[in-house]
Amino acid sequence: MVKYDVVVVGAGNAGLIAALETAKAGKKTLLIEQHNLPGGCATSFSRGRFEFDPSLHELCGVGTAENPGNVRLLLDSLGVNVEWCTVPDCFRVITKYSDGGAMDVTMPSGVQPFIDKMEEYVPGSRSSMEDFFELLTEIDEGIAFLSSGEEASNKELFTRFGNVLRVGSHNCKDVFNALGIPQRAQDILSTYWSYLGVDMTHLGFLHYACMVHGYIKDGAAMPAHTSHAISVAATERLRELGGDIWFNCRATEFVFNGDKCCGVKTTMGDIECDMVLANINPDIIYGKMVPKEIIPEREKKLSAARNKNYGARMFTVHMGLNKTAEQLGIKDYSIFLPGTSVSEQEYKNVLAGEKTNEYGIFLCYNVVKPDYSPEGTCECSITTFMAAEDWNDVAPAEYAAKKTAMAKKLIAVLKRKAGIDIAPYIEEIAISSPLTFARYLNAPEGSVYGYETTDWDGLMARMMSVGKDYPIKGLKPIGTSGPRGDGYSSAYYCGQMIAQMALKEMEQGGNN
Amino acid sequence: MALKVKVGKIGLVDALKFKNLPATRDKVIEAAPAKEITADFPINNNAKKLHPDCQKMVITKIRDHGKAEAKTFFLKRADGEKAAYFRAGQYLSIALNIKGSEITRPYSISCSPSFTAEGMYTITVKKNQGGFAADYILKNWKEGTEVTVSEPLGSFFYEPLRDAKNVVALAGGSGITPFLSMAYAIRDGIEDFCLTVLFGSRTKDSILLGKELANVAAAANGRVKIVNVLSEEEADGFEHGFITADLIKKYAPDGEYSVFICGPEAMYRFLVPEIAKLGLEAKYVRRELLGVTKDVSGCEGYPPKTKTKKFALTVRQGENIYETTAKASEPLLVAIERAGIAAPSRCRSGECGWCRSKLVSGEVFTPAENEGRRYADKQNGYIHPCCAFPVSDIVIEVPGTYMK
Repeated sequence: MVKYDVVVVGAGNAGLIAALETAKAGKKTLLIEQHNLPGGCATSFSRGRFEFDPSLHELCGVGTAENPGNVRLLLDSLGVNVEWCTVPDCFRVITKYSDGGAMDVTMPSGVQPFIDKMEEYVPGSRSSMEDFFELLTEIDEGIAFLSSGEEASNKELFTRFGNVLRVGSHNCKDVFNALGIPQRAQDILSTYWSYLGVDMTHLGFLHYACMVHGYIKDGAAMPAHTSHAISVAATERLRELGGDIWFNCRATEFVFNGDKCCGVKTTMGDIECDMVLANINPDIIYGKMVPKEIIPEREKKLSAARNKNYGARMFTVHMGLNKTAEQLGIKDYSIFLPGTSVSEQEYKNVLAGEKTNEYGIFLCYNVVKPDYSPEGTCECSITTFMAAEDWNDVAPAEYAAKKTAMAKKLIAVLKRKAGIDIAPYIEEIAISSPLTFARYLNAPEGSVYGYETTDWDGLMARMMSVGKDYPIKGLKPIGTSGPRGDGYSSAYYCGQMIAQMALKEMEQGGNN
Repeated sequence: MALKVKVGKIGLVDALKFKNLPATRDKVIEAAPAKEITADFPINNNAKKLHPDCQKMVITKIRDHGKAEAKTFFLKRADGEKAAYFRAGQYLSIALNIKGSEITRPYSISCSPSFTAEGMYTITVKKNQGGFAADYILKNWKEGTEVTVSEPLGSFFYEPLRDAKNVVALAGGSGITPFLSMAYAIRDGIEDFCLTVLFGSRTKDSILLGKELANVAAAANGRVKIVNVLSEEEADGFEHGFITADLIKKYAPDGEYSVFICGPEAMYRFLVPEIAKLGLEAKYVRRELLGVTKDVSGCEGYPPKTKTKKFALTVRQGENIYETTAKASEPLLVAIERAGIAAPSRCRSGECGWCRSKLVSGEVFTPAENEGRRYADKQNGYIHPCCAFPVSDIVIEVPGTYMK
């Protein structure tokens, strides 16, 4: 039988980073992937003369070569080279303020420009916005300190990170109010809920803060050649580090020796190993891939408490248009098009189904990189979120029409709200539904976001429970279900963090 | 730090709450029942039904098309389940083992999507010169033969958000099959567009599926029109010659229309300048898979004095390593299949990327018309072996296959 030190199952964002981490530490590493491509969501597909990115809008924490953000630092430290394009503005949002007034704002990147612009839209917001960003900086430092494992007395913690401790258990809405941010400014800030798939009264402020700061402070970036370029850069680096990759290889079962995982059965043969890092949702691992008797009581309870509350499911329309962005009057890279800026209401409308869901995030990649698609064309997408219920009972014969109807609606929403008419210019179109994501990722309900990071199970609570959450020897889930929550950058951090934990466990195991 | 944010009334209480986050989480977990964990999701099950890894089928009926030198095979799911639903125009990749070669061939589905409810597809296979797989199928497939096929594949179907409401189909030979399926889908109310088929055949007698086409046109409420174009015979009620720009204009409806093309390579090459004369936007011209050229040495940029060479080929798949040889005149995929290695492939035209493999060492030539690789793949030494011709000794790493 083939033997490896570490088998990473799933070449998603977390799997790629985890494999690089263990290979770099000198472990003989095998990465297996059920698809014939790496990346999971971080991939691309071709239609005609266009190459589409199925998931990535923009990545926070990249920064510039001179002033790198955390994501760039992480990829650099592993030797993964990616060509990035900086996204000029943070976002434009067209909707209604919570007081009913029309909102059409374009927010820039960079803390000072963001504060200035906010003051322009919402006079009197300046001092609270300055406090907001000061708090975000403290949170950045606090989280870096807390995850570094450094010891500190309560008193010391309180002196250095008092604000972090005080806001750490609260949701965004409460903290916005505590900072005295005017309602209209809160409405604008709330636009970000969609990236995390939880509304502002349920989203932990620290989670929000980590992400928003990454976007506004460092600016966002997108890969010059789709997120497939990130994933391929990672696999090629893994090969350089001596790792192996088997594509179109599906893990079917994890093999145990007593209470320790010691191997993986796959569609390409059985593999023996000391450690499995599984880029798979724990419900699938426990529900389908391990002997029932090895599942610890607490893991069963944790799963029951989460109650299959998986994070957001995406629906995306990818379009190659036969006119340029300029010709179509597209000036913004990203336009958020919610029905309302009241995130709780919007979240309900989105999840209540196609009839009430009018939410869309419109992107035009050529605004950032004019030659992203062939000359004379541009590439766009519109993304929304969907409830599982919308797709649970769809009959195969009705599936295409259902996708088409929703895509048509989103294209109409764009025209109505932003005045951008793209319908006559569609040269290529592909529509990804939750079924599409389920097909390629095998993630529960086609969710791309692990478990909802909400209330009791938020980012900080998970981060602080890491010691208890990985009870199985030799087998550790990684990915968006993990402590860092969802999104590309979170998955990268999670992959690294859990791989490092696994390396420690292997070291201790070797000493016994 | 000057800033002091207080959310609750007493800051210390909030700080405690923060410190207690894991304890609070523990309490929620502790209170939950230790239920057995299940992982059965309707969305995932639906996705699997639409996109199975492969489908085991049995041939239940064969229709011989006589002088058209073709047969229609009726395939039924061996497990009694419904066949995976498809968009009219899509194809199946068929797995074949011919004298130790593990090969695949794409065949358009020729029936209505409604057949899937009965677990059925039909494919129509026509005899063609040097057609290794077609000859094998026509000779060996009998009622009761078991066949492994893929999920339905490809993007050659009517897309209402992109295509004009009127489609003019240009077909030759067995290229009629996706259009027959589209015609059935229109008749059955599954697709909503108007289809005019210009179908090139040599003679009246050799029109493939002529009766089926006439029947479906008669039953489609005027939304399907068939125009037979005969190259070697003149007859009343038939057009004579080849499909040209003038002929397309003669039958094209007023206003916008899309042109869909499916036929042999020679027909496609003839049509390219004809279609250019129509002045249609690129979005209104779509063609089915091109296949890969039989004469790579005629392609622009092909290195001289290479075509008769033979190279050493090393294929890695998982833990297995195979040594074989590859002819310069054939795509690498053919050499891999001939060595009996079951490697993934689907479209065999460079487009779908299912055979995407890592070129570990060596050099290949990919014809420009088959260049369907992703940007980053081209930059990082990934190739599509179905359309990559070796020009040196090769070491390649291929993925596994689910067509078993």
